[in-house]
Amino acid sequence: MLQNLNQNLERKCKLSLNFWSKLLFVMCLGGSTEAHPHVFVDARTGFIFDADGQLEALRILWTYDEFTTLILLESLNLDQDGDGKFNDADRLAVVEGETNWDPEYKGDVYLEVAGQDYPLGRPEAAAVTFENNQVEVSFELPLSQPVMVSGTPALLRLYDPIFFYAYTILPEVRPDSLPEGCQAQIVSFEPDAVTSAIQQKLAALRREEAPSQENVGRLFSDEVHLTCG
Amino acid sequence: MWLRFVATFLSILAVCVAVLNIVPWMDIQRWAVGEQRTVQNAMAGALRGIQAGDPLAVWTLCSTTAAYGFFHALGPGHGKVLIGGAALVSGVTLKRLSILTVLSSLAQAGTAIFLVGSLYLLFQVSSEVLVNITDAWLASASYAAITAIGAVLVFRGMRILYKLGQAKQIAHGCCGHAHYPSVKAVQTLTSARDVVALIVSIGVRPCTGALFVLVIAARFDAFAVGCLAVVTMGLGTAAFNLTMATSGIAARQLAGLGAHNQESMQAVSATLHVTGGVLIIAISLGMLLPYLS
Repeated sequence: MLQNLNQNLERKCKLSLNFWSKLLFVMCLGGSTEAHPHVFVDARTGFIFDADGQLEALRILWTYDEFTTLILLESLNLDQDGDGKFNDADRLAVVEGETNWDPEYKGDVYLEVAGQDYPLGRPEAAAVTFENNQVEVSFELPLSQPVMVSGTPALLRLYDPIFFYAYTILPEVRPDSLPEGCQAQIVSFEPDAVTSAIQQKLAALRREEAPSQENVGRLFSDEVHLTCG
Repeated sequence: MWLRFVATFLSILAVCVAVLNIVPWMDIQRWAVGEQRTVQNAMAGALRGIQAGDPLAVWTLCSTTAAYGFFHALGPGHGKVLIGGAALVSGVTLKRLSILTVLSSLAQAGTAIFLVGSLYLLFQVSSEVLVNITDAWLASASYAAITAIGAVLVFRGMRILYKLGQAKQIAHGCCGHAHYPSVKAVQTLTSARDVVALIVSIGVRPCTGALFVLVIAARFDAFAVGCLAVVTMGLGTAAFNLTMATSGIAARQLAGLGAHNQESMQAVSATLHVTGGVLIIAISLGMLLPYLS
């Protein structure tokens, strides 16, 4: 189901740039920019470095809320015996639905290195658990090319442009060890910063600087700042 | 006449914008999202309780779905724009509008029950197709209908203003007494046609949360319990929309305070029609656009 939702979402994502710019007008009226989320995801993130100290992959873990977990069980017909445990077929179905996504869909994972969006590959090493009535999916997302992070911090953002999924980035239980001199810090979404950012966007709109080029959705996202050196 | 209309129109719009900007929507929504998450988890717990055969779970489920309906209605859509707008423009009493609000929320619940009962249970359509139908067709149909209602309101308001202008000319040029349009003509929502249009435009689009509750309940062989839970969800949504109805009516009465004779009352009512209509069109178009582009 989630894969389908993702595709559906991806369709909406493409429209959403256009949508957001038009919605800016309504925002002046309503001041409200968020659609209500239906899916709540607790996310945990990690950075994987190669032997040369270059960032080569991201580690992403999504924990779905209990209600979405029930929807997943229903739509993928999982846990047929109702014992609260997944068998191999269940896990396979979830991995397929969660990580075999359309090329256009970015997995709601966005990396910025040296101020530029950095291309990412497709999910690898996916795993699924079902504990405490919550489905958990983890995978690694390789960078298209390993990259040295120095000077400007690398920014990792998790967000759904239309806010159907609400991501909250939580600290990793067992954090990956980072190279010496590197540190990762979670910067949670702050409404004040967002409000001022929207005002800046509105100002930009008046100057006709084509704000539709920019993805407004990221203004609302939690971020992880990776600083090295 | 037109100058006064434009002045009233702009000042009402300005007040609306000011109110909307003063209210900390971002904080309220953040709070609502947090509450919705809690409620959603509680709902899941209750559904698992029903699967396990816990007799109390029905009660827990219904109370949590009612809370879900309330918090979910805080987001955009779900007819509250229309309810608030209708309250602003129409001459109906709070009691009548409250009944309308409850009926439109129950209609939403009814649509969800009908869709899951027919498509999912009878024709074995999968839940994802069901949600896609809702998203792609019913949601846009609802927004389009609401936009159309906004246009009708603007049209009605303009027509009355035109007639008022004409009546004035006749009064000056002819028999010395004015033929103002009757008060009835300016009021919206008094006819059965208006009432049905309002209920249908809101009710045609079910909440996806309601669809999921029904589908999961059906999987646990408790479709009837699911139906009950979805009805209480509708009542929760109605409870929130009632606050919109109340504030809409309060705003209307505020706008009518300065009007003492029939003519000025009609002018205010006509202006409210145009203003309410424009607001409804602007907001519902914002929600409709992603489907059009």
